[in-house]
Amino acid sequence: MEHNKPWQSFGELTNSEAYQKSVKDEFKEDLPFENADNGFLQAATPRRDFLKYVGFSTAAAAIAASCEVPVKKAIPFANKPEEVVPGVANYYATTYVQDGDVVSVIAKVRDGRPIKLEGNDVCPVTAGGTSARVQASVLDLYDTARIRFPLMDGKESTFEAVDKAVAASLSSGAVIVTSTINSPTTKEVVAQFLAKYPGSRHVTYDAISYSGILQANAATYGKQAIPNYRFDNAKAIVSISADFLGTWLNHVEYAKQYAKGKKIDEKNPTMSKHIAFETVASLTGGNADDRFLYKPSQTAAVVKALYAAVTGGTVTGIEDTKLKEGIEKAAKALLAAKGAALVVAGSNDTNVQIVVNGINEALQAGGNTIDWSAPLQIRQGVDSDFAKLVDEMNAGAVRTIFFYGANPAYTWYDAEKFKAGLAKTSMSVSFNWKEDETTQLCKVAIPDHHFLESWGDAEVKAGYISLLQPTIYPLFKTRQFQDTLLKWSGSAVDYVTYLKNYWSTKLGGITAWDEALQTGVIVPASATLAGASFNSAAVATALGALSASKAGKYELVLYQKVGLAAGHGANNPWLQELPDPVTKATWDNYIIVSPTLAKSLLKIDLTNGGQADAYETQPAKKVVKLTSNGKSISLPVLIIPGTEANTVGIAVGYGRTEKYGRASAGVGKNAYVLSQLINGNIAFESTDVQLELQAETYKVGLTQTHNTYDTEQGNRTEVMKEMTFAAYKHNPAEIREERDKELKPWGGLEKFESQGTIYPVYDRPGVKWGMSIDLNACNGCGACVVACNAENNVAVVGKSEVVRGHEMHWLRIDRYYSGSLENPKVVFQPLMCQHCDNAPCENVCPVAATNHSSEGINQMTYNRCIGTRYCANNCPYKVRRFNWADYNGSDSFADNQKSILDDSVMMMNDDLTRMVLNPDVTVRARGVIEKCSFCFQRLQEGKLKAKKESRPLETGKDGKWDLQVACQQACAADAIVFGNANDKHSAITMHRTTNGNRLFSSLEMLHVLPNVTYLAKVRNTFDEGTHHTAEKPKAPAAAH
Amino acid sequence: MHLKYESQLREPLVYGDKTYHQVTEDIIRPIEAKPTKLWYVGFYISVALLMFGVYSVYREVTYGIGQWNLNKTIGWGWDITNFVWWVGIGHAGTLISAILLLFRQGWRTGVNRAAEAMTIFAVMCAGQFPIFHMGRVWMAFFVLPYPNSRGPLWVNFNSPLLWDVFAISTYFTVSLLFWYSGLLPDFATVRDRAKTKLRKLLYGMAAFGWTGSTKHWQRHESLSLVLAGLSTPLVLSVHTIVSFDFATSVIPGWHTTIFPPYFVAGAIFSGFAMVQTLMLMVRHIFNLKDYITIGHIEAMNKVIVLTGSIVGIAYITELFMGWYSQNKYEAYTFMYSRAYLFSPYGWSYWGMMACNVLSPQIFWFRKMRRNVFVTFFMSIIVNIGMWFERFVIIVTSLYRDYLPSSWSVYYSPTIWEIGFYAGTFGLFFTCFFLFSKYFPVIAVAEIKYVLKTTGENYKADMKKQEVMKADEFAHEYAH
Repeated sequence: MEHNKPWQSFGELTNSEAYQKSVKDEFKEDLPFENADNGFLQAATPRRDFLKYVGFSTAAAAIAASCEVPVKKAIPFANKPEEVVPGVANYYATTYVQDGDVVSVIAKVRDGRPIKLEGNDVCPVTAGGTSARVQASVLDLYDTARIRFPLMDGKESTFEAVDKAVAASLSSGAVIVTSTINSPTTKEVVAQFLAKYPGSRHVTYDAISYSGILQANAATYGKQAIPNYRFDNAKAIVSISADFLGTWLNHVEYAKQYAKGKKIDEKNPTMSKHIAFETVASLTGGNADDRFLYKPSQTAAVVKALYAAVTGGTVTGIEDTKLKEGIEKAAKALLAAKGAALVVAGSNDTNVQIVVNGINEALQAGGNTIDWSAPLQIRQGVDSDFAKLVDEMNAGAVRTIFFYGANPAYTWYDAEKFKAGLAKTSMSVSFNWKEDETTQLCKVAIPDHHFLESWGDAEVKAGYISLLQPTIYPLFKTRQFQDTLLKWSGSAVDYVTYLKNYWSTKLGGITAWDEALQTGVIVPASATLAGASFNSAAVATALGALSASKAGKYELVLYQKVGLAAGHGANNPWLQELPDPVTKATWDNYIIVSPTLAKSLLKIDLTNGGQADAYETQPAKKVVKLTSNGKSISLPVLIIPGTEANTVGIAVGYGRTEKYGRASAGVGKNAYVLSQLINGNIAFESTDVQLELQAETYKVGLTQTHNTYDTEQGNRTEVMKEMTFAAYKHNPAEIREERDKELKPWGGLEKFESQGTIYPVYDRPGVKWGMSIDLNACNGCGACVVACNAENNVAVVGKSEVVRGHEMHWLRIDRYYSGSLENPKVVFQPLMCQHCDNAPCENVCPVAATNHSSEGINQMTYNRCIGTRYCANNCPYKVRRFNWADYNGSDSFADNQKSILDDSVMMMNDDLTRMVLNPDVTVRARGVIEKCSFCFQRLQEGKLKAKKESRPLETGKDGKWDLQVACQQACAADAIVFGNANDKHSAITMHRTTNGNRLFSSLEMLHVLPNVTYLAKVRNTFDEGTHHTAEKPKAPAAAH
Repeated sequence: MHLKYESQLREPLVYGDKTYHQVTEDIIRPIEAKPTKLWYVGFYISVALLMFGVYSVYREVTYGIGQWNLNKTIGWGWDITNFVWWVGIGHAGTLISAILLLFRQGWRTGVNRAAEAMTIFAVMCAGQFPIFHMGRVWMAFFVLPYPNSRGPLWVNFNSPLLWDVFAISTYFTVSLLFWYSGLLPDFATVRDRAKTKLRKLLYGMAAFGWTGSTKHWQRHESLSLVLAGLSTPLVLSVHTIVSFDFATSVIPGWHTTIFPPYFVAGAIFSGFAMVQTLMLMVRHIFNLKDYITIGHIEAMNKVIVLTGSIVGIAYITELFMGWYSQNKYEAYTFMYSRAYLFSPYGWSYWGMMACNVLSPQIFWFRKMRRNVFVTFFMSIIVNIGMWFERFVIIVTSLYRDYLPSSWSVYYSPTIWEIGFYAGTFGLFFTCFFLFSKYFPVIAVAEIKYVLKTTGENYKADMKKQEVMKADEFAHEYAH
């Protein structure tokens, strides 16, 4: 059939040679090897040679490239110190002491460095509770601005030289000015010194003075002391500008007691009632069931009216109807709880405190809520003593003066006069451990040890001793105050020996002393509540003496912040960066004003959505110049609801000297200058100030800008649940029913877990970590936030970064307002990673850097993270934190953050400060996400502990704990419960099952299945209405 | 391949009664000539912008993402806005080349080359953002699923961001191949006309040995069809997957099923607008008005008004759903954060509405569609509007989401954030200027298919030659 084939050319037909060639060549060419040099292909081992060359050159390049790797030396112990096992922490009981404040603590020491403080559970006073300041104080040990050696005239000196110089001027005695000393041995040491040098005397000066209470108690009870307030025994509490949960007296103890009264037993619900009368918003006022506002000038009128009301009279002299009604209601509540009622006032006016004593007496508080069996020792200073001393100094009557713990050049109302007086002394010695304002003016500075380097004792209440033992060898050339005094007194023994002898004798032997040192506390056998005889005549006199002070248009209140208090925390970056519970501001002080005043003074109307938005979204706040008694101060203004309409507040403790440290330098302004001496006592208020709006603005670093969860589009009750106690008693299951309703579209409460998703539901056997937070107990103090910083090496970012929303806190406390704009109800919600079982962050990470553990933990793998921030975007709780810059100084580009970040961050990255880092927790690098890990390192340690002892893990069964997370352990109010939720007997399971009615998860309807649950906030208010939402009138458009 | 019917009523696709030779001359000559002054000015400005962008990125990589004003609440801002914007722009090219090829839309030949180039450059620009928005860009290779020594550690196939990696890289690869395969015959033309050795060498290499044999053409055509077939689903899938970044999340304003079609329509919308911007400039600078005709401009304006209206419907549907869902979180995002003009970012929503929905309606009028100045102005407006759209979606959803406690302070970019964006403009235009100088900006081979040239033209041309004297003829056609 060949001839039938069609052909295109004659060549194809004849199949010519030329045609064959063209067919062959049209599409393909032969491989070029034919023409190649045959030698190459026939070489014996070309491939092997090639590999050899490659191998050699790669190895050579690798060796060459690795030449410049820096050699880092880790030096092992040649002789291992006894009791130090690398990687295993030692714990020592010691005591946090600061100007009279005493909190028994356990110091965690890793490889010779104290890195964390926990409350000492054995101590009956604070019972394991701590405050933000206690938690942060470990960082003070590594403060770069500590005085590192004795100073004479500002220059480095030696102990011999300063001893010699001081000895020469002791002939006529010395005045020792100290903050409250409650150490029995220190008191004896001081007494010895006073005896040795006749003409000497000891003056106690407290920056934040309680001399009003001391003197009032002297007048009414015949004792110049402070009783034990028993908030746990009180069914009705009235606080009149006393911030007893945040800063007032022994607040850690009070927070614990107060929480006891606020926790609700579902089976038998009772709850204490707390009514606050306040001038400016405070932490305590925010926690009160009801709050009423008054002006500082009305203080006398308010206490008088309350006195009248509880003694059967009528309320007079109060024009404001709301306030008047409040006083009447408060009196009624107090009288209803007679014998279990307590009134406390923050005023430093003796007469006010006498009348308050009168009220308490009328309520039979003595022996019930006011206990005189063991008076509180933490504040003993009387202002008039110090005022007299300043006069004497100015008169030239004081030759030699010592300062220990006191810093009048900064805190005294008339600091200029004090400085002038100080200049007239011939020898001044400061024992303060920082170069503070007073120390800078002294001729000699003999720095004291930090309390973690010190021996000592502290008597918080009569008979209640807490002991100090050093947890580290002194870092610098410092000498303990007591040692110095003993030396100057010519004593043969040093303070340690003195202390040991003293307590061995008292306790009956060296063994008893060792035991006491081990537990950290010495507790009296048993204590019964005791009252005291009362002098009613003093009340009558005081009532007569109290007259309304002249009120100006605006009034001023100076207050302490939870973080900085009197100003000691100023150079502590953890405290500076702790958002103030009331204002949520960091790193600054400012003027607090009410929304009403904001409208008239700043022209910002928070009821106007646009203006409220502008105020919230712009960190630059308007600046106001405040003038009081001729002294002026210009500060930015924050609008804080819960502040009396025409009263403004400023926090003290800011505006420190440059030398106080790199973190405090340039932060805020000193407001002590605005305090006054009235009737011999310092008044932290002024009833007539002028306010003047300035042209400039000032940026304030707020961590929360919007404060209500109610929007025009609906009340976000899934975020937060709160109700009145009346409503709770009416229908305890209301919250449960509400949750059921919210989840109705997905099967209701019971079936939500399986029906809320299209995916299968998995079993979660083994350990399942869970946390539950009682919002009734939480008072928002922020101790947990600082504890978390310390435990987890959370970076400090500095003000400039907080302003930009870059703070790194793993745990934050959200604060929401509800109710009226002028005087809202406040709820605090601690919020950390919710460790969702169905976590939205986990499935969006492209590299699986965040994933779920079999124990229910949402884990972060830092070295896998590439920093897309998708997880942070997709987190409904916004708890994920991104390392925007090299906050930890861990970058491979050395010092590249210097021009970028604040000096406070550099301070945290100093080699000295870095000693505080927890070696169990990775320091995060730039560009990765981090967040709460449920203190993973502690969970591992706890599990190992149980495993080594071959027993099941204990998380709270019968009070036994193998582990506690940092926030839980720090909480004075015991609001946080953590543990294994799969263990039927664990504390967390008990907490959830016994409080089923109030239990909820935030944003539950998203079906993210959080492992953190909350107990709804219940308020024992006067408000009418049984449904919890009835107490919330519609909030104005997007306001506050 | 081109058995298409040409209507006598329709306008010709190429004006000026061009012959094949003229076409070649018009398009290839700029490659052989020295660039104009205008070209130099544009090129240097672009390079300067690019350098600024490089410095901005250098700062960000060296000092951290903190060089930008993003915060704990707003994790994405200008970076991802720009990413989505550029990806969107990168849609028109492939749409024009692939889908219009499959639909036999002859007019595409005038603009497809430049549009494809634009696609590739836009995707290059887009790619910079997801890479450099990473906190640890040096670990960016973690997103690639390669066998590694980290045990079972693998990428997370659940993550839309990973889908992006695949979607964008596939799209880029296919677009690049498509563009390059179309360039082969034209490179060969440049090579054949080359008068310098270097040019001959370079274009020769670029032409991959194209001889123009029938087999080459046949394969070329098949390849075009195959690639067009491959690219067509990609046009839809890329922006669908980009929209999944948002649609699969839990954030109100992102968690929206309407996103895929809405994003694709928006992408085509912005892509065509960008093609308009560039084409109007190219036809002016290189005097190609006969090839990129008013007809082209009108056709693209029709696509713009169509897609703009689709996008508008999507916006209104979203708003409606915000209300209809009775979900307070959705409602807040849509009714307050976006639609309320006086909310902090209300201006961006209404800017978007004005630019994307209202102003393109002008193209219902034929006169406006055929007006070069109106078109140019509108093309800019549309791209501003589309940038706002992405900004609105990303920032107004994030800045106030579930927990009011975390609501953000006002976010505005730092100079380095703006610099990064400006830098991608620099990159884009640097590439585009180089392209317009060294590449045939119009597909020479393809436009010859649609050239309305008939035997009459040939005869008319021949007539001249027939009467020409032999030496004249030799002189005329010597080159």
